Amino acid sequence: MFTGGALIFLLVIGLTVLTIILPQERRRWLAQQNVVIAGGIVFPVAVLSLLLGYGFFVTRGHVGAEEPTLRIEVIGEQWWWRVRYLDESGGVRFATANEIRVPAGEPVEFILKSADVIHSFWVPSLAGKLDMVPGKVNTYTFSADKPGVYRGQCAEYCGAQHALMAFYLVAMEPGSFDAWAAGQADPAWDRVAAELKYGRDLFIANGCGACHTVRGTPATGDLGPDLTHVGGRLSIGAGTLPTNIGTLAGWISSTQHVKPGVSMPSFGNLESRDLRAIAAYLESLE
Amino acid sequence: MARRLKTIGFFLLFVGLGGFLFAWSGLYNVAASAGHWAITRWFLTFGMENSVETQSVGLKVPPLDDLAMIQRGASHYFGGCMSCHGAPGEARSVVAKQMLPAPPYLPDKVDEWRADELFWIVKHGLKYTGMPAWAAQERDDEVWSVVAFLARLPEIGPDEYRELTQGEQASGTETTAEQLQPFSLGDGSTDALVKCIRCHGSNGTGRGTGAFPRLAGQSAEYLYSALQDYALGLRPSGIMQPIAADLTEEEMRTLAAYYAGIEDAPSADPQLPADREVLRRGEAIATEGISDQGIPACANCHGPTTAPRNPRYPSLSGQYASYIAQQLRLWKQDARGNTEYSRIMAAAVRNLDEEDIEAVSLYYERLQTMAPDPEPNGPASGPTGE
Repeated sequence: MFTGGALIFLLVIGLTVLTIILPQERRRWLAQQNVVIAGGIVFPVAVLSLLLGYGFFVTRGHVGAEEPTLRIEVIGEQWWWRVRYLDESGGVRFATANEIRVPAGEPVEFILKSADVIHSFWVPSLAGKLDMVPGKVNTYTFSADKPGVYRGQCAEYCGAQHALMAFYLVAMEPGSFDAWAAGQADPAWDRVAAELKYGRDLFIANGCGACHTVRGTPATGDLGPDLTHVGGRLSIGAGTLPTNIGTLAGWISSTQHVKPGVSMPSFGNLESRDLRAIAAYLESLE
Repeated sequence: MARRLKTIGFFLLFVGLGGFLFAWSGLYNVAASAGHWAITRWFLTFGMENSVETQSVGLKVPPLDDLAMIQRGASHYFGGCMSCHGAPGEARSVVAKQMLPAPPYLPDKVDEWRADELFWIVKHGLKYTGMPAWAAQERDDEVWSVVAFLARLPEIGPDEYRELTQGEQASGTETTAEQLQPFSLGDGSTDALVKCIRCHGSNGTGRGTGAFPRLAGQSAEYLYSALQDYALGLRPSGIMQPIAADLTEEEMRTLAAYYAGIEDAPSADPQLPADREVLRRGEAIATEGISDQGIPACANCHGPTTAPRNPRYPSLSGQYASYIAQQLRLWKQDARGNTEYSRIMAAAVRNLDEEDIEAVSLYYERLQTMAPDPEPNGPASGPTGE
């Protein structure tokens, strides 16, 4: 391939040089009609057609030929990612948000949708962008060859907080992925420590469950991210802040300061003690 | 030409300077007791009437025949307007009559104005008179309720006026000493409670018409914070702000505890009819929300639920539909104040449309109030005898 390209390149350069240095009578043959048709039309059409055929042959493996071992539905919403792991029958095995864990080296099919405006799913280190279009389902299969953490980003301007609509794709060793997935499907830990229980009660009493689900508690809301295992995720606010008790407390009390315009209101009503208890509870949900 | 302009310029300067010197000298008498010359009075009235007529152009008058609106407007009139403007069977205060201009005795004068003009005057007040603007400029709904009452004013007599403005106290059941007993210790609290009772009733159920929200059985925390928000101007209301601002903190706590302590207040009959389909929609919004429209469930914060609830969130079961709906509309109009709590609710209301608001309000109105231990398969609520 490279050799062919180099030869054509040298041929073109050589002919250019000839037209400059030869006297007029000896380069007249280059302007003949047959030479122009052969070199300007027949030759490029033949070469490019061959290359196109070769290209289809080489990329055939990328176009759905590989059977995915895992199917994950990712729904873009302003401004976060709803992530649903599907079972064989297409039902939802468990839901999470803003973080996608996959087994390294295995092809994963991403089913991409949008709940509101056009978003674009992009993990630069692993694959190209693919738009998430309202009312349309796009699918994309690729694999992460090596275990690691890959940052993803919405790549289609989708409103004020488009820049803070990121996520992490975490490729794990297949064995530890299975253990992780089994844990995710479980309901949230039922905490025994007094402060965590207090935090859980405040979480419920302040109405967080109207929008968020924590499986195993009365919180069954479906508007915002599923928080059943939020403490085990790398980030909160869709890649905005790392997950820890401090960022959780800051996020809850001032969402509109951290990420203005986001659907969740700032819960500025919470006393600092209560806020800490709720944040500690959420952090404990690994 | 240039010379003539110069002369005119000097003349104007001279007149202006003269006027200034006259004002500076203090020779003009601003005494209300001195009155106006007839021509001055004519000119001021002429300007005022034309201004009101022009400024109120384009106002759309809502239906004004709703009893709840009239009661609400009348009760505010009793506390806020009557002392200057009089009422059927009530003369203007002697003090008010010494104002210049003296406020008109409205039962005789109010029909000289159209409803849209009255709205404009009540909302904006009148310069160079004692007529104040409405304390909460966001609350057109409150101003219209005053207008609804004013539209009735010429045709009602003293008895009907008492009925409209004083609720249970008008019908002979004066507040008993026993009811006031919890307040006998605090200075002034008795007066404060009487003000509450006029509209919200001694049992906290309002007047059964939806004119006033039901307070019985709300948490003391919520009622206290509502009074605080009114008093501090954080929750706009031309009706409640002046009343709450007069209360001391201790009175607020006492009053909040009083209404929070009423657990056996009868449920009012639903004020508005609703069909089954609408109620089902209301129930869906209240208990589950509609997630693909971005509407969260109400019940997580406002009940009914068996899980713990923040006592600062009001409970809605049995509250009047018209009150709930109006509050939700205020949120949608960004007129429901600006507190930590109201901003949380603003996010919850964002995606409700008018149909949703009506459905969920009607649903909550029909829920039984305050059922701490719901009896399984309990009978439908029987008649709630007086």
